Order: sequence, then structure tokens, then C-alpha cells
Amino acid sequence: MLYGNAQIIAMKEKYIHILSLAMTFVYGAFVVFLYAAEPRSIEEISSKAKSTVENAVTKGQVVTGTYEIDRQKYNEGLQAFRIDNFIAARDSFDRADPEKRDVKTQFYIAYSYYRQGWGRVSNDDALFKQGLTSLERVTMLDPNFRSDDTNLQLRTPAELRNELEEGMKVTADDFNPLRLVRERK
Amino acid sequence: MDSEVKDYLDVTDDLLPADEREDLAVNKVADVALRKRSAAPNQIAFVRYLALPFIFLTVALLGGLRLSGLDSSFVFLKPPLLCLIFAAILLVMFFRARLIDLEGWFSESFSLLKNLANGAVLLTLFAATTQLFNSLLPEKGLPFWIVAFCFFWTLWNNLFADFDTKKLLRSLGALFGLAFVVKYLVLANLAAPEGRTWFERLTENPGQEAMTWLLDLPRFSAGTGYIQFFAAALFLIGLYLLPASTNDYEA
Repeated sequence: MLYGNAQIIAMKEKYIHILSLAMTFVYGAFVVFLYAAEPRSIEEISSKAKSTVENAVTKGQVVTGTYEIDRQKYNEGLQAFRIDNFIAARDSFDRADPEKRDVKTQFYIAYSYYRQGWGRVSNDDALFKQGLTSLERVTMLDPNFRSDDTNLQLRTPAELRNELEEGMKVTADDFNPLRLVRERK
Repeated sequence: MDSEVKDYLDVTDDLLPADEREDLAVNKVADVALRKRSAAPNQIAFVRYLALPFIFLTVALLGGLRLSGLDSSFVFLKPPLLCLIFAAILLVMFFRARLIDLEGWFSESFSLLKNLANGAVLLTLFAATTQLFNSLLPEKGLPFWIVAFCFFWTLWNNLFADFDTKKLLRSLGALFGLAFVVKYLVLANLAAPEGRTWFERLTENPGQEAMTWLLDLPRFSAGTGYIQFFAAALFLIGLYLLPASTNDYEA
């Protein structure tokens, strides 16, 4: 009788400790989430929670090596890229590859900066700089990358980098009137 | 049959031998004692391991919460590094004043689970203390540095003074109360309200506008003071419920 009672009480104590640890962890995580996400209203908490969970899932996929880009968004981006809607294209590419780990998508993003910034008379240096930044990511992900898209005339990061760097320089060649007949690559 | 009945009736002594009777009595007393004690420890455990972390985490949640003066939307302010330092000093004071007896919270004789649960409770206490300082310190500008210096001066002096638990709690109550009055009554009333143009504010209440600009006062909604009052009160309730030791009962 005595031992029976003592055993039951000890179990309860153990359960209280487990419950305490679980509650502290869950509530503590909620508090940390609130301070990290900084929602401005109660309604915003759920949307912030959703994006945080999605972000965590993507990060988890990267860690476990199961990360894949969103094919639908990628195709949308490609479609927008081909009709010269570069802002929409980049938006779709960014959504398709939120972790910026897909070399092909990142190459298209860099290329979109080149095509958007290219001008027959002068280039947009700010966009070209952003293109170079994106291109660095491509080189980091795969130094030997070569695009299989036949519509692109610059198929490697080296070619695209050269075009972007040359486009930002001011040389005597820039004043050559024949430049007006050159084509965008 | 008659003779058997007669035998029982003739019994004048006890039915059980004396040593066996004593064993039963001891068992009964222990059983009753265990039953009497079993309800209280469970309640104590519920308070210590569920209510206390809940209270302290609620303080941690509310301590950095402000309501915007413009549309009363939430503004979550992360604690500055100074708050963590103050919280650490305060915890050391708790240990020195025996408000928390370290051996009573962590021991080799406890199970791993109990040590972990105790650690979690103390962690929530640290988080709550940090956020309480975050709540009571002005957000920026000159008031932040003045109040922070006052806090530091008081805590540093108290760190080397001999305190008993009651004196420490009284001293903390006074310290936090004064800081609350300074921030949420004095400074809050010096800040000009949000939602008006610069010209309107200057013409309607030039004094408030000047103080807001000079002291770099943030413009929060009046609801912020109520939330922080609740947080400070909750923290003091949590401290009152916090036991010095967790080995004062046996499960």
C-alpha cells in the first residue's frame, strides 16, 4: 500500500516536471517569435507565424539536402524574362528560390539585371552593379556553370561578368556612333 | 460449536501479538501521513513548475511591449544589453540574500528532470528580470542614461550590502515603483501626443513639444503604462511565490 502510493506520487511529480519543461519551451518560443517577427496587431501574428514556419521548413530542407525550387514560380519567372518583364521575372525567381541556392535561377536573375540595364546609348550602372552581385552568387554556387538556354548569348558567368564590367566603364569606344546599331545579348 | 463460541468469549487478551500490532500501526501512520502530504506537494509543484514559469514568461512577453501613439499597434522592443547586465546583477543579489538557495535548486540528489525543470524556472526568472528592466528603462536619449545610471548605482551598492529576503524585496519594490513613476507618469506626461502636425503640436503645447524634442521621448499610447504596470505587478507576485529551495518537500 505504502509503496503503491509512493510510486503514483513520484510519477505525478515527474509528469509535472515534463509538463513544465514543455510549457516553458513552447511559451518561450512564442515570446521569442513575437520579438523576432514584431507583428503590429493580433491579426498579423498568424500571417507572421505562417511565413516563419515556411522559412523554417525551407531552412530545414537546405540542412537536410532536400531543398528544391518552386517549379511553378520558376516557369513564371522564365516566361516574364522572355517577354522582357524583368521586374516581375526577378520577383518570381526570388519566390522560386528563397534560399538563393539554385545556380540556374540565380544566373537568370543576374542576366535580368543585364538586360534591364542595357541601353543603346548608355547603360544603367546601378542595375549592372546588382547584376555583378548576383553573378558572384552564381560563381560561388557553381564555378563551372554553363547555361543550357540557347536564347542567351552569354552562357557563362565569365561572359556575363565581362559584359557587365565593360558596360560600366567609360571608354573612347563609348563615343563610337556605330554603337547605336549594336544589339543586346 | 458451543465450546468454540465459549472459547472466543473467554478471550480477554488482544487478538494480535504485540509486535504485529505495532507494525500495523506504523504502516497505518505512514500511510495516513503520506496521504496527507501527497496533496500539498502536488499543489506546490504545480505552482513552482507551471504557475511560476507562466508568470515569468508573461512578464518577458509584456516587458518589451509598447503601443504606438499613432494607431495603438504593437511595438515589440528588444532589451538592450544593459538590461541583461542588470538582470544578471539582480540574480546574483537574489543568491546573496538567499532569496534563491542554489543548493536547493540544483542538487546531485535530485533527478535529472527535476534539475532541468528547476533550471527552466530560473531561466524564465532571468528573462522576466531582463524584460522588467526593459520595461522600466526609458527607451533612448538622456532619460535612458540617467535612469540606467541610477539603477546601476543602486544595484551595485546593494550587491555588497547585507540583505535579508524581506528587505531585499522591499528595496526592489521601492526601486521598481520609483522607476515606474518616473517613466510612465512623469516622462509620459512630458511627451507630446502623436498624430498632429509639427506646427499644431508647437502651437498647442510648446512646452511638451520642447521636452519631447530635448529629451528624445518616444510617443506611446496611454495603454502602454497599464500593460507595464501589470507586468511589474506580475513580476513581484512571481518573486513572492518563488521558493528559496525546492527540496523542502518530498514527493
